[in-house]
Amino acid sequence: MVGTRVRTGARDLLRAPAPLRSVIALLLLALLVAGCLPASDDGAGEGAAEEDGATEAAADDATEEATDTGGEGETLVVWDQWARGVEGDVVDQLNAEFEEEHGVTIQRETKTLDDLNATIGLAMGQPDGPDVAQVNQGRSDMGALVEAGLLMDLTQVAEERGWTERFSENLLNRNMFSEDGSQFGTGNLYGVAPQAEIVGWYYNKDAFDELGLEVPTTFEELEALLADIAAAGETPITFGNLDAWPAIHTYGAVQHTLVDTDYLNDFVFGLGDADFAIPENVEAAETIQRWVEAGYFTDNFEGIGYDDSWAQFAAGEGVLMLTGSWISGELDAEQFGFFLTPGASPDEVVPQIGGQGVPLAIRADTEHPELAIEYVDWMVSERAAQLWAEAGLLPSGTPPEGTVQEGTLLAEVVDAWTTTLDNDAVGHYLDWATPTFYDELTAELQQLLSLSVEPQEFVDRLQADVEAARSGG
Amino acid sequence: MADLAVREGAPRALSRRGQRPRPTGHAGTRPWLPYALLALPAAVYGTFIVAPLLSTVRVSFYEWNGLSPPRWVGLDNYRELLGDAGFWQALLHNGVFLAFYTVIPVALAFLLVVLLTQERAVRGLSVYRVGLFVPQVVPMVVVGVVWRWMYSPVNGVVNALLGLVGVEPQPWLGQASTALPAVGVVATWVQYGFAMVLFLAGVQRIDRDLFDAAAVDGAGPWARFRHVTLPGLRGEIVVALTVSMIAALRVFDLVFVMTRGGPANATDVVAFEIWQRAFQLRQVGDAAAVATVLVVLILALSRLVLRLQPSDA
Repeated sequence: MVGTRVRTGARDLLRAPAPLRSVIALLLLALLVAGCLPASDDGAGEGAAEEDGATEAAADDATEEATDTGGEGETLVVWDQWARGVEGDVVDQLNAEFEEEHGVTIQRETKTLDDLNATIGLAMGQPDGPDVAQVNQGRSDMGALVEAGLLMDLTQVAEERGWTERFSENLLNRNMFSEDGSQFGTGNLYGVAPQAEIVGWYYNKDAFDELGLEVPTTFEELEALLADIAAAGETPITFGNLDAWPAIHTYGAVQHTLVDTDYLNDFVFGLGDADFAIPENVEAAETIQRWVEAGYFTDNFEGIGYDDSWAQFAAGEGVLMLTGSWISGELDAEQFGFFLTPGASPDEVVPQIGGQGVPLAIRADTEHPELAIEYVDWMVSERAAQLWAEAGLLPSGTPPEGTVQEGTLLAEVVDAWTTTLDNDAVGHYLDWATPTFYDELTAELQQLLSLSVEPQEFVDRLQADVEAARSGG
Repeated sequence: MADLAVREGAPRALSRRGQRPRPTGHAGTRPWLPYALLALPAAVYGTFIVAPLLSTVRVSFYEWNGLSPPRWVGLDNYRELLGDAGFWQALLHNGVFLAFYTVIPVALAFLLVVLLTQERAVRGLSVYRVGLFVPQVVPMVVVGVVWRWMYSPVNGVVNALLGLVGVEPQPWLGQASTALPAVGVVATWVQYGFAMVLFLAGVQRIDRDLFDAAAVDGAGPWARFRHVTLPGLRGEIVVALTVSMIAALRVFDLVFVMTRGGPANATDVVAFEIWQRAFQLRQVGDAAAVATVLVVLILALSRLVLRLQPSDA
């Protein structure tokens, strides 16, 4: 019976050996295909290293012929992470002016920082990848790209374009790696940033007037201020840690008042094996827990996201917010002010978390090296600084006189930045110390803030993580 | 002769009164036809599923940061994995998700099916089918984002509603003790509709006569459930269990969007570990090893569950 035979065949297909044979055949075929797929990057890595030397020579030639800035009609592919409304507009404006002046086209792709970090590695290795891109500082991002020979060495360019005069060594070192990417903080320069960042205390001027408060000049005064606000029934510090990283700034700001920039450089760059387990870090942890217990932070801050919390602050909730200059463009210029974390005495300028924003880097084997350098130089020029400042954001360069209006929020932010720079007090984001430190620090801080770990244990556990990461390599 | 067509859809639980379904068609005259038709899907499957899978297994034997040349390390990545407490904790969290993705939705779906289908046909069936299925249709990322807002202690709906019964606003996603269950509740909300729709359809297929016969034989509601409904739904149960179990072991987007594995790794899951290793720590070989282990685990567990599937009578 034909029907029965076929039905038996169909049932077999659902069960035993015959289909297994087909599956095995399929797997073998796929194995062949998989074998052809490259898992290594030998060719690309070596090729890029050779071209690096060639591009440097080409770059030198190009910059000597000062007026020739690359061909007309070229297209420059740029990847950046200036996605927030105000920043995006500034960059569009800068790009438009650049396009007009050089007769070129800029193909701009904007992603969030997370997406950019995830995709930049793959993209930089492709022949049609971005010519210029923002590359996050640190070993896992910029360091890894340097190790793979994918970024153009900008040390020479920095000298010729005067970047080394405009930006201090202590600022540029965050974008420096040795040629093999093993040393962070020294070596060649691989990026420069149009924006500066500084973490400090935004304060609501209206609330200050109402409660009769003054900007504190010492750390003791700051703590007294927090107590006064709490006593008056207001939320002293608007804070939301659902995203986990804001705590790094909160803890770091307090910790920075107890250490010096040498220690911070050593610790973050991994030089001289600076330890995390020092008494100052324990003291900072104790202070933070004291603040949590005293109720200085927003209620239920563990469940509030960062964007929600600064939106709350901008709407007038809470008196202070300890965060970075990157949101200054979003706050009302008249209603809010900014001051640095004070030290033990009024004249002391203690280290402040900050540095350059996410830097622009150039792909090593870009086909438009001269144009790429021109673009990066343009993005850190005085004109760029002017536009950033007009948008209420902190530029890394100095904007022209009169751009920043006295008495506005930006004026106070720029003041704070300049003071920090002049006193060589620019600190660090602690999570840069090792590739795993971001995860470990955020996890431990969440426990510290929920009062489920003692300060000493908090520090000891992080010390163990740092040691493991350093020895594991 | 009543039923010649082979029934499609969920694996058949009970054949009708002993009649065997007979396929129609001329398949016997062109034996190469099935293979010819399978060639294209097989090629697509091979290229986009099997090949990357095997490639991943291959990468798991290397140490690679995704940029520089990889370095052969053999089984080192797997050995490290065995001793990695973080990985085992993540796996444990996946186990907890099994309760929220699989056990609770299936149990709840059962409960409702039993209540709704005592002896009568289900009324308003289409309303249930559409309404309860909507969470399945919404992209997981959207679900995660919206529920994140809903859980907010500041102006979130969840705390507002709980406030009506006197519960203090809690940072549900920010506390290590409540974060995992909070995300789990969302998973149940999404997955419940799937089991529900499956069981409703399955119950509809059970012959009314069987219920009547059982009643005539003196079986009470519980006995009818045990001896008619439950075996009748066996195929659907297996499907519901398998699909939701895979979802529980694979969960990523929900955790990524709502908590990023936090607070303090309280919602860390295996898929998140893979992402972290590959994209944050740039340890692609490690990530591949974790991925391989996950695939093997899912395959093994699925096989186990599918064994419960009733064989054709």
